[in-house]
Formats: sequence, C-alpha cells, structure tokens
Amino acid sequence: MKKVLVLFLAFFLPLGAFAADREVYVFNWSQYIDPAVLELFQKETGITVKYSTFESNEAMFAKLKILKKDGYDVAFPSTYFVERMRRLGMLKPLDRAKLPNMKNLNQDLLDKPYDPSNAYSVPYMWGSSAIGVNAKVVDPATVTSWDDLWNPAYKGKVLLMDDVRDVFAMSLRSLGYSANETDPARLKEAYEKLLKLKPSVKVFNSDSPKQPFLNNEVVIGQIWGGEVYQANEENPDIKYIYPKEGATFWADNMVIPASTRNIDNAHAFIDFMCRPDVAKMNCEYVGYATANAKAQEMLDEKTRNHKAVYPDKADLDRGEFQTDVGDAIMTYEKYWEMLKTQ
Amino acid sequence: MKKIFQSAYLAFIFLFLYIPIIVLVVYSFNTSRFSTNWQGFTLDWYRVLFTDGPLMEAFANSLIIALSSSTIATVLGTLGAFAFYRYRFLGRQVMYSFVYVLMMSPDIVMGISLLMFFITIGLSVGATTLLLAHVTFCLPFVIVTVYARISGFDRHIIDVAKDLGASELQMFRHIMLPMLMPAIIAGWLLSFTLSLDDVIVSFFTTGPSFEILPLKIYSMVRLGIKPEINALSAVMFLVSLLTVTIAHFFFAKENK
Amino acid sequence: MTRGSRFRNFAIGSPMLWIAVFVVVPYLIVVLFSFLTRDPEGIVKWTLTLENYREIFSPVFLRVCRNSFVLALGTTALTLLLAYPFAYILTRIDENIRRFLLVLMIIPFWTSSLIRTYALIILFKANGLLNTFLLSTGLISEPLSILYTETAVFIGLVYTLLPFMILPLYASLLKLDRRLMEAARDLGATSRHVFFHIVLPLTLPGIIAGSTMVFLPALGLFYIPDLLGGARSMLIGNFIKNQFLTTSHWPLGSAASVVLTLLMVVLLVWFFISTRRAHSGDMETVR
Repeated sequence: MKKVLVLFLAFFLPLGAFAADREVYVFNWSQYIDPAVLELFQKETGITVKYSTFESNEAMFAKLKILKKDGYDVAFPSTYFVERMRRLGMLKPLDRAKLPNMKNLNQDLLDKPYDPSNAYSVPYMWGSSAIGVNAKVVDPATVTSWDDLWNPAYKGKVLLMDDVRDVFAMSLRSLGYSANETDPARLKEAYEKLLKLKPSVKVFNSDSPKQPFLNNEVVIGQIWGGEVYQANEENPDIKYIYPKEGATFWADNMVIPASTRNIDNAHAFIDFMCRPDVAKMNCEYVGYATANAKAQEMLDEKTRNHKAVYPDKADLDRGEFQTDVGDAIMTYEKYWEMLKTQ
Repeated sequence: MKKIFQSAYLAFIFLFLYIPIIVLVVYSFNTSRFSTNWQGFTLDWYRVLFTDGPLMEAFANSLIIALSSSTIATVLGTLGAFAFYRYRFLGRQVMYSFVYVLMMSPDIVMGISLLMFFITIGLSVGATTLLLAHVTFCLPFVIVTVYARISGFDRHIIDVAKDLGASELQMFRHIMLPMLMPAIIAGWLLSFTLSLDDVIVSFFTTGPSFEILPLKIYSMVRLGIKPEINALSAVMFLVSLLTVTIAHFFFAKENK
Repeated sequence: MTRGSRFRNFAIGSPMLWIAVFVVVPYLIVVLFSFLTRDPEGIVKWTLTLENYREIFSPVFLRVCRNSFVLALGTTALTLLLAYPFAYILTRIDENIRRFLLVLMIIPFWTSSLIRTYALIILFKANGLLNTFLLSTGLISEPLSILYTETAVFIGLVYTLLPFMILPLYASLLKLDRRLMEAARDLGATSRHVFFHIVLPLTLPGIIAGSTMVFLPALGLFYIPDLLGGARSMLIGNFIKNQFLTTSHWPLGSAASVVLTLLMVVLLVWFFISTRRAHSGDMETVR
C-alpha cells in the first residue's frame, strides 16, 4: 500500500522544470508529423520532441492565450490564427539567420496578407477548400461555380463545412465579394443567400467531409482537396472542382508562441522541418501539399500532379487566403446562429 | 415465461450496447486507411499500434489518470454524500447545489475556468492539474449516486448503532460502508468511464509534457482517425472482457 | 476532541474543501466574467456591465435553449424507460452473475465515445450494415435514411448516457426489501399495484439521481448530435463553445452558462418541491 502511494506521488508531484534545454515542446494536430522525422531530429540534435495535440485552432488559441509561461515552443496555427496571434502579441518574431532552410520554400506561399514578409510564421502544409462532387450522380462538367450548390436538383444532397468562416467565404465569393469581408451589409446579403441553401443541406461537417461523400449521403458540397485525394483511394468518382469565383486557401504554419521555454530549440526544430528531405517525409506521411518547393520536386509524378492537392497557378491566383476579420467575427457568428436555428 | 421475457430483455440491451463495439473490432481488420467502408482483411493496424510509442504512452497515462482520479473521487464523494446526509453544517445547502451546478457545467466553461484558476494560484499545468480536474468533474456523479442510496435508509439504524456505543467512525465503517457498497462501486465505475473519455476539460488542464489518449483521438479527426485507434479500442475491449470474465469465474469458484 | 467529532470534521471537511476550492471558486470566476466586457486585444476588460445578459435574451438563444431542453428531456425519458427494467431484472439475479453482468454492461463505455459514434455511423449510413442487412432479407426495398435524422441523434444519446441511468437505478433498487412486496401481494395487491405503490416510490431517489445524471450532461452535449444529426441546428453546447472559441467573447459565453445554471436551479427546486409533496402525500395514505 505504501509503495503504491510513493509511486503515485512520484508520478503526480510536479518536479519542476527539468532539462528544458534538451527538449522542444511541439503543439500540433495529431499525426501531422512523420514519427520518423521526430526520431531523426533527436538523433541529429540531441533534442527530444515532446508532442502534444489540439483538436481545433480555436481551442489552441484559447489555451495559449491563458498560458503565460512554461508553454509550448512551436505551435502549428492555420492561416488567420497566425494573424490574430501576431496582433495580440502571442508570438515571438522569427530570427531568419537561424532559419537558413527557409530558402527551400515555395515562394508563391510566402509574404501573404496574414503575415507580411513571414516575420512570425513559416508555412508547413497548405491546401484549398472547393467543390466536391460524386461523378456517378453529378456530371462534373456541369459544375463550374459555387452557385451550382444552389441548384434545386441537389436538394437534400448538399454538404457544407461546419465552420462559420468557410461557409460564409463560399457565399461571399459567389456574390463577388472577398472571402474576408467585414462589411455588415454584405455579410447580411451572404446570410440571406445561405438561408436559401439551408433546406438543401443534408449535413454540416468539417471534421471529415469525405465520409458523407463515400457513404453516398451527399453528392455535392464543400470539401478540402486533401480529403478528395484520400477519398479517391477508394472511390475515384469523387471529383474536385475549383469554382470560377475562386477557392479558399489555407496554410498551417509553424510559429513560436510567447510562452516558449527555449527559443533556440524552437528555431532549430522549425529549420529542420524546412529541410527538403524532411519535408518530403512529412508530406508523404500526411498526404497534404507541402509548402516546400524542393520537396515537392522530389515527389512522385502522380502525387505532384494531383490537381486536388497541387492546384494550377491560375487557380491559386484566383483564390484567396483567409485572413483575420477582427471584430466582424461577431457579426459572422450572429448570422451563423440565425442560420443554424432557422 | 417471465424468466424468458426477462432474459430476452437483458439480451436485447446487451446487444444494443455491444453491436457498435463488435463493428469496431471487425473494422480494426479493415485494410482501408481512411474509410468506414470494408476493403479487405489485414493485421497491419495491430503491428502499427504496438510500435507507436507515443500512442501507447498516452494510453498508459490515460489509464493512470482514470484509475487514480476515480478512486480519489469515490473516496471524497462517498464521504461527501455521507456528510450531506448525516450532518447539519454551515453552507450545506449551498454546497449541495454546487454539486448540480458542476454536473451541468459545459466542458468548455469548466476547462477554461479551471485553467485560469490553476494559473492564478501559480500551479503549472501537467499531470497534477489534470488529476485535480478529473477528480472534480467525477465527484458529483459519485455524490449523487451514493446519496440516492443512502437517502432511502432508515435513519433509526444510525440511532441504534449510536445507542450501542459505536463511534461515528465505527458506525460509518461497519454499518454505512457495507450498505453503501453497491452505490460506491457504481460511482467508481461511472467516474472511471467519465475520466477515460474526457477531452475538453483535459485539453485545458493538462500541460505540454503530459498527453492522454482522448486528446490524441480527437485531434486525429482532421486528418482522419487512424485505424490503429480501432485496433487499440479492440485490444482494450478484449482485454477488459477477458479480465472480467476470468475474475468472475475465479471468484465464483472461491465463493463456492 | 473526541474521536467521533474528529471523523465528523474529516467527513465534512475534505469533500467540502474540495468543492469550495475546485468548484465554487472557478465558478465565481465564471460569474465575474459574465459581468465584464469583451476585450478584442486580450481576454476581458475590467468594466462592469449587464450588456451580456441583455444580449443573451434573444430569440436565437431561446430557440437554442428549447432545442437543447427537448433533446435532453427526450433522452432522459428514453434512457429511463430502457434502463429501469434492465436494472430491475439485474437486481433479481444471483449475486455472482449480477456483478459480472454489471461490469459487462460498462465495458463498451471504456472505448472512446467518438470511436463508438463512428461505429454507429457505419451501422446507420445509407450503404451501411443495417441497410445492407435489411435489404438482403427483403424487409425493405429502399435503403432507410437513419443517419442525419432525429432517430439517429436519440439512439446516439441514449447509447452514450445509458450507464448513467442504469448504475444509480441499480444501486438504489438493490436495497428494495422483497418481503415488502411479498407482504403486499399476500394482502391481495396486484402486480401493478405493487409496482406503483411500493416499488416506484421506494426507488424514487434512484430515478431522480439517474435522471439528473442523464439530463444535466445531455444539455451540454453537442458533438454526438452534430455527428449523427448532421449539425443542422444549434444546441446550448455549441452556442457556449462558439462564444469562447470562435468569437472570443468569454463574457457572453459565461453569461450563457450562468443563465443555464439559473434556469436549472429554478427547475430543480420546482421539481424537488413537487416530488416531495407527492411523496409525503403517499406516506400519509400508507399510514
């Protein structure tokens, strides 16, 4: 009995900060880095990676907001959270001298509005959100625009993302506005247009939008390119279409939170992740598009040319990266609540 | 006739509870990496599972937290239910209503307020704070379960014991505890179950160096739940089933 | 100090201290937040306001509350209906097997609820196991649509919350004195009479405990209804989560949580007063 108690205490008593100089604390989506990469990093640098996970950008943001010290060394927020965290002073500026491997990155993905000149963030993986269709039921040639989701023929067979920004981005683009609109009148217009789509929607899902497609529950809807790529392993009939109004793009980025314990280790880790061979390992493990141009060249042809994963330059230029909309998010949420409770 | 009907009903409920788990076990042998559609048979996920060190570590951490928090919550909760029933003290009503307040607190509210509280008192987040949080959200379920059983008792039993010269402690140990045992076991089982499955509160109250299984599972959703999670669930399910069955036959024999 | 009072102090002190420190204090933080102002640059501004409460009482929030209450009430009623006979039958089985079956009942719940819900999707989806089975037997000719309907939501919620009804019911049914029922039957009472006038009143504490343990958590649950129901409506859980996470409006989220608590307190007080009255009325007639 006493032994159990001693073991118990040893396990739970906080032993203080030990050996923080040989560790790097990474905060990321689960399985978003090849485990072999983490081992390689430890072997080469002697720094152990402690990997913790979050299940949404929002939750990660809330937690980092409260944690002032003894936090994480490297976090992986998506596009507009980089901007928000940067604005709120939650990030440490990057020291470019310590990140020589950044030269390997895809220049088209750098210096975006959410982080001008990449002072705080380094893109890791990226992708798009556009239209998915089941070619068995819907002829892909007839679908060219976001407006096609409103086609009454698809009533009860439409999937939308369960995310306020993604859904409004689509409606705003279809009206010819920016996906990052903050004008209340235009948001209202987008809401009214969505209200007409609501009866057609079978399911809101942004956890895994490919599932309802694979399960034959929906035939058309919003989906991520990476999800289509995965779905095609089983059902090649799921097609991905970049609408003529432009798709929404996202990127997951590596940043150093203000609560970091060891900023040198954080830089070492980020630079390591930018090495072409490492980026290639991660890309093959995760199956999303790498932001590393050198690594992309090293991929096999089939993956490199899969349009759902790597869009043409024209599609990329027509699309838009999500940025932070500031306090307008309250207006978004109000309309979202009204849309959901109608 | 009545016996048959009763057995049929038990079987129906067990079928309802076990069918999804059986589906899960079957699908842990599915070759498909991403889908819920059947593609073919494989044992790969089991191989992957046992070589995934961090996943096994998170699983072990989860078990340790669940075992310790449910045990602490059961001890505290049983004492609490007894105190609410037996004694009159200042703030008794208020404290009892907080048991209900806690039970209905949305996870996100509990997680964020506990994290802010831990930070304010200077506790750095990790295994300790996670344990404190888990004991806290398990506590009301033990209190309510034990209190429901205790409140049906005849108060005279206590009076008789006291008249016979038993101290409070003796009365609690020799009269109350044995009578409360079914509720205590029920409370422990509920706590263990709750602790093993909690995500949101755990996310906010654990630190960078301490990861538990539900966090890993929920975080996988975006990239697709890995089939090795199905394999892990299947292994855990079969191991618990086996342990319980063996224990049952072992004790059943002993009792004879 | 006598031994008795030392135990008394311990029995009161330890759980109450825990509740005071880890429940009351964090809850006071929430209450305080609900009176503060949102700060887009930080967490909250230290300006007291009643604005959050004014904002809460909107038609949207009331609809959200109604959705959640209907769902939680329905789930509670269904779990009670399913669990009561189960717990009752369980208590009449030989002690050894009874304990074995009780643990057997809980084992499926040691699997992550997310994974279990995914398994339910595999069962219910259009090309899923249930439809395939029913089609092959010729019972139906068109696949049933179960996934993304209310039926699926209720099945999922009942599945998840069943042990929270079964266990307290079991614990309180177990002490039922069988001699009481035999005596009543000897005196000529029908089975129905015995059940409604003896069994039910005696197990009322268990029913109340189980119902609160299902109803209160069900109010806040949202990911199971979202996954199985298609997330086309909004529940209190979604609403509060969105205030904390999407808009970073923690004061509004806190206010929603406080209002929810107050609603519940009113409901519970009303419920306890009315059941106590009904219960004491019963006692009177027995005497």
